[in-house]
Amino acid sequence: MDFRFSDDQLTLTESVRDYLSGTHGPEVLRRLDEQGNRDPAIWQGLVEMGLTGLLVPEEHGGLGLGLVEAALIAAECGRACLAEPLVDTAFVAVPWLVHQGDTDGLQAIAQGTRTVPLPHVLNPWVADGEGQPLQSVDPLRNLAMFSASGPADEHLLNLGALMSAAQLLGLADAMLHQATEYAKIRTQFGQPVGAFQGLKHQLASCAVAIEFAKPVVWRAAQALQDGVTSAATHVSHAKLAAGDAAIQTAETAIQVHGAMGYTYEVDLHFWMKRSWALCGAWGDRAFHVRRIDEAVLGGSLPIGPEHTFA
Amino acid sequence: MELHYTPEQEAFRAEVRAWMEAHVPKEPLVTLECREGYDQHVAWERTLASGNWGMVTWPEQFGGRGLDLIQWLIFEEEYFRAGGPNRANQNGIFLLGPTIMEFGTEEQKARFLPPMARGEVIWAQAWSEPGAGSDMAAIQSKAVRDGDHYVITGQKTWSSRAAFADWGFGIFRTDPDSKRHKGLTFILFDLNSPGITRRPIRQLHGDTGFAELFFDEVRVPVENCLAGEGQGWNVAMATAGFERGLMLRSPGRFQATAKRLVELYRAHEAEASPAAREAVVQAWGAAQAYAYNTYAVASKIMAGGKIGAEASLNKIFWSELDRSMHRTAMQILGAHAELKRFGNGQINQWLEGYIFSLSGPIYAGSNEVQRNIIAERLLGLPRVGAG
Repeated sequence: MDFRFSDDQLTLTESVRDYLSGTHGPEVLRRLDEQGNRDPAIWQGLVEMGLTGLLVPEEHGGLGLGLVEAALIAAECGRACLAEPLVDTAFVAVPWLVHQGDTDGLQAIAQGTRTVPLPHVLNPWVADGEGQPLQSVDPLRNLAMFSASGPADEHLLNLGALMSAAQLLGLADAMLHQATEYAKIRTQFGQPVGAFQGLKHQLASCAVAIEFAKPVVWRAAQALQDGVTSAATHVSHAKLAAGDAAIQTAETAIQVHGAMGYTYEVDLHFWMKRSWALCGAWGDRAFHVRRIDEAVLGGSLPIGPEHTFA
Repeated sequence: MELHYTPEQEAFRAEVRAWMEAHVPKEPLVTLECREGYDQHVAWERTLASGNWGMVTWPEQFGGRGLDLIQWLIFEEEYFRAGGPNRANQNGIFLLGPTIMEFGTEEQKARFLPPMARGEVIWAQAWSEPGAGSDMAAIQSKAVRDGDHYVITGQKTWSSRAAFADWGFGIFRTDPDSKRHKGLTFILFDLNSPGITRRPIRQLHGDTGFAELFFDEVRVPVENCLAGEGQGWNVAMATAGFERGLMLRSPGRFQATAKRLVELYRAHEAEASPAAREAVVQAWGAAQAYAYNTYAVASKIMAGGKIGAEASLNKIFWSELDRSMHRTAMQILGAHAELKRFGNGQINQWLEGYIFSLSGPIYAGSNEVQRNIIAERLLGLPRVGAG
């Protein structure tokens, strides 16, 4: 029993975080917002980091890593509010294709020449796919109506929900950081507004919610990676905890920014709108509450102190 | 990340389970907050000690088992699975014990720790004063040096366990000209010393768990001072860190409550609201989240890491979770919630638990203080006002 990441996992995460914070700041989001949303140069950078091949088995030209690594990187994508379809293709489609035994196109994904927009019966539209365009509140999310109904595959749903949860953690972290930094520099009544307890306590409550959502997501990633029978419940728990933390943080962050928070000029809205989108995607809140309910109240999951890792 | 127990850990779990099943009282004990219940709980401490299960994380030389933190978590899970009683010895195990191990002389360790481990001496804490609650640096009770004694005069209040305990610990002002955090000294004292008057305080539930302590020229030998004169604030902060940190509230307690809540909901499903149903689902999730986080922190500490201000995140989370679970139970119980005993004579433990849960966000540093600590030390927001 050891609930820690390995040094390799931490090093990988840190390198992705550093790369994105250095190359993918808010100015990039603004440029994309004005100039067409996708940039082949950003995608190429992700390919060169090896991220498109993170979960592709080594014999198909990838790194052959697992869902825990993918969840850690997905959180970094959320932190950077990355718009490129990396998570959908590399962390949701790839493990699903591998699971299906469909390995033909994996090499092309690893090389960055193929993206796989995946529909699911719960998502009537796909991001970065073909079809009639739909406008999302998230200006960097390119939605298209999917012509046929997607599969009802549970594993696919779990992968999509897990990776959404991981992104939501990163989004929440980033919004808390933005709000905190703003509260340090904005002065009113002769002092930084962050010195007022009214704001301090709201921000501290966000820190609590995020802190306790994190291990739920990591545990879900490990459970899905290990194929434990209760993995679906843990994925739903992750989506619920991370989604609630992100929404709480988004609302607090806009409040902390005051009227500035209500402008398009402040960066916060990109992260907030991505959070709204991901909270509803891959099973909305009601869906995931119901899945936990069925396991916990329905009695299929053993509960109690001796069943922490059931 | 390795989220499976080793065979040795599983074997240890089986050993704890067998002992608990054989020894945990079948009927719940009377509340610790009255004489009869206190005596029952002290008897239980001695039963635990007889199996060497009282202080499992303490080193063997002081009467413990020297267990690591994962083993401690397993022990706690089994303790709460079996419905083990609240610990009369809480202040000793988790607060004073670790403080003496860190700051005490060899002689103090040998003198105080083994009787604590055996459940022979039960300790009360004496931090707060009428004018020094959240603002502990406002302490005024004096300890004046007189030869090889301190002479203590003053008043402490809201002292947990002090109505019935044997010994107490707290900080006192040894330098009369000092202000705030300076000039304070951490002193251990026999609660039966001449000059100490205990006045039990009737608590919210009507019983008397904590007490006021009046010191009227109480003579305490200087060798009862911990870590030297004037070091009191640093020692107290370390003790408070233990209190808020990992060990005060292990996850098993809340997972057991969440499980009982699920059972309560099932029994009242027909009349309970959809909101209560979702609150029950959330309770399970939050108790699990608390457990995962504790395993993560335990793993980090075992690998040489430390926790600092993160302990404040913990304290807020468990105390507000406990209150919300009990509030949900009260809502599910509806009209029955107010009954101290149900029609069948059974004690309404949800009511007792709800009342107790209201103290969680206050003691061990109020949650407002914890939120300030998070804002200032973890988020780096500016400090204002505090001295």
